[in-house]
Amino acid sequence: MNAASGFWRLCVCAALALHGLAQAAEEPGIAIPELEKKPFEIGGYVELKQEDFRLNRGAPFYELNFPDQSGRRTLDRTTGTLQLNGKYTAGIGTFNFLTNSDITRDQTTHDHDNKFFEAYLSLKPNPGFTLDAGKKTLNWGKGYAWNPVGFIQRPKDPDDPTLAREGYTFVAADFIRSFEGPLQTIAFTPVLLPVSSDVNNDFGKTGHVNVAAKLYFLYRDTDIDLMYLGNGSKTPRFGFDFSRNLGTNMEIHGEWAHISDSQKQVVNAAGQTSLQLANISSYLLGLRYLTEKDTTYIAEYYHNGPGFSDNEATGFYQFVDNAVAQYQTTGNASLLQRAQSLSQGAYGRPNTMQNYLYFRVSQKDAFGIVYFSPAVTLMANLNDKSFSVTPELLYTGINNLELRLRLYLLNGSRVSDFGAKQNSSRLELYARRYF
Amino acid sequence: MCKTTQMYSPCMAMLAAKALFCLLLGWMAVPAWALDGTQILQKVDRNLEPESYEMYRTLINIEPDGSRKEYLLYSVKKGRDKIVALFLSPASDKGRATLRLGENMWLYIPSVGRPVRITSLQSVVGGVFNNADILRIDYTAEYNVESAQEEKDTYLLSLKANTNAVAYDRLKMVVDKKNLLPITIEAYAASGLLIKTLHYSGIKDFGGGILRPSTLETDSPLYKGYKSVMNYLRIKKREFPDEVFTLNYLPRIEDLRK
Repeated sequence: MNAASGFWRLCVCAALALHGLAQAAEEPGIAIPELEKKPFEIGGYVELKQEDFRLNRGAPFYELNFPDQSGRRTLDRTTGTLQLNGKYTAGIGTFNFLTNSDITRDQTTHDHDNKFFEAYLSLKPNPGFTLDAGKKTLNWGKGYAWNPVGFIQRPKDPDDPTLAREGYTFVAADFIRSFEGPLQTIAFTPVLLPVSSDVNNDFGKTGHVNVAAKLYFLYRDTDIDLMYLGNGSKTPRFGFDFSRNLGTNMEIHGEWAHISDSQKQVVNAAGQTSLQLANISSYLLGLRYLTEKDTTYIAEYYHNGPGFSDNEATGFYQFVDNAVAQYQTTGNASLLQRAQSLSQGAYGRPNTMQNYLYFRVSQKDAFGIVYFSPAVTLMANLNDKSFSVTPELLYTGINNLELRLRLYLLNGSRVSDFGAKQNSSRLELYARRYF
Repeated sequence: MCKTTQMYSPCMAMLAAKALFCLLLGWMAVPAWALDGTQILQKVDRNLEPESYEMYRTLINIEPDGSRKEYLLYSVKKGRDKIVALFLSPASDKGRATLRLGENMWLYIPSVGRPVRITSLQSVVGGVFNNADILRIDYTAEYNVESAQEEKDTYLLSLKANTNAVAYDRLKMVVDKKNLLPITIEAYAASGLLIKTLHYSGIKDFGGGILRPSTLETDSPLYKGYKSVMNYLRIKKREFPDEVFTLNYLPRIEDLRK
């Protein structure tokens, strides 16, 4: 496949989207549903996404992922996604579910995946108490792109922080009390999260029932959360977050987390690994500002305590170079496989280094077109000065249809965070139809 | 005129009495207007909605070419400044919920999974209505009456926001004298710029003693050709515990529906 075929697919994607658009435009209006609540409800969306990658030949992650295809310059990927959410309510009980199914195909691979992101039972005897049991996504923290206090949740994709994510299986309670005066609300959320070979096995060490808790206050118009995760599958950690409006158009927020005995596996250029133990802190400070012309600015600074330093990241990239060189000259894949294995862990995660800046500008109803929102997002690694810039166009003006076009541009030296990625740019178009 | 010293004292006393009378009259007149205006506004608040209620309404954004986007919202309110709105349709917005406690506002989006703070000038639906319009609390909770003028069939109330955290700095509200319900409201920024005009119409009996306009239309010089409309479908008095108006309860608001 080549760039031309990618363009063709983009056209197909756009045509399908326009088909949806035309269908929606033909609808005379939306019928108002019955106002009475139904015991069973189901909804969701179907999405078609086309991505065209311009590969960054010679970059460490390109060499790792395409050791035998050093001539490949582009990759075209098509993904179809179906998400279903629903709930059944009877008395004080509600069963909720969220499924995610996707099929992905590009020139090198095709894959499919079906998962329950959530499937849990809620018992709500009164508004002040709820008991949840099952698989559910908890979202702790106030940060937009990152959540250092998200102790029992899968990390966000900073490129798309609002995407639904898979949850963990646990039992949690939620106690809420409201008051008059400066302290308006207190809420306490204790959580028991078991980890075994069958349940939550990617959370951490198996054979533990992890205890976590969050205490929330609304005090003098400021949201404050205190979080805790006890020793168990992960090392113990605690933290807090806050959020507050400063006037009608500005919000500030922050998070701080302390992790005891944080473990970090570091590899040097020769492939020797060492395990580092330390008590570390991560924190985030951000703001959201809205101008009179409906331009929204979001800025966040993130210090990732367990992240790699410049030297540690460079050591990994040099090891990859050595592993690829050995494979290409001798055919011995042992080092390459080890490097690939490391890249599946901390080295391959997004934002794996220590200091980041996130900055996003979006314009609501741009050029006088309601529901048309262009935006530009900058994510910069402040350690190695590499960055990504992502302009995007979003249109939601057709009932239940969302169209988004994005271009990711990555910049940096080949041994930098964003410069080491397998692609130097990515063009993405999706059409999402809700039902 | 006082020409003699003998006459000076009584004359001065008379002048002083007149001045005192004028002062007294002025002192009585100003608060009397202010009091009347405040009372009118309090009655407008209660005539529009009971202090605690549940409500169903549609919100329609109409573009210059006539195309429409329509939302169905379920809202509950308690006291003067606690309100929640839940989106029941369209499917793309179903499950979104917004909470307002005084000047604090949050938006819950199911895919994001947690409430995030929003500001009153933002709009969760696009179009001419902003969050302050959708999550409107009592006018008396946000505004002081600066002046009240009596016209033939209406009162004209000039309102000033009591803090700079309120979405509109000033309102000019035309109130129908007969039923003490608003007819039009002009909303101004602190700069004096007219942001939008709200038009109430279609008085309807919602039952339970609630007789109020069933339609609210808005247009704005900032959105030329665009129009947004709220149609009130059902309003009913209902009491709720305070815990309903909290961040933790926001994802479960739909449980209140019957």
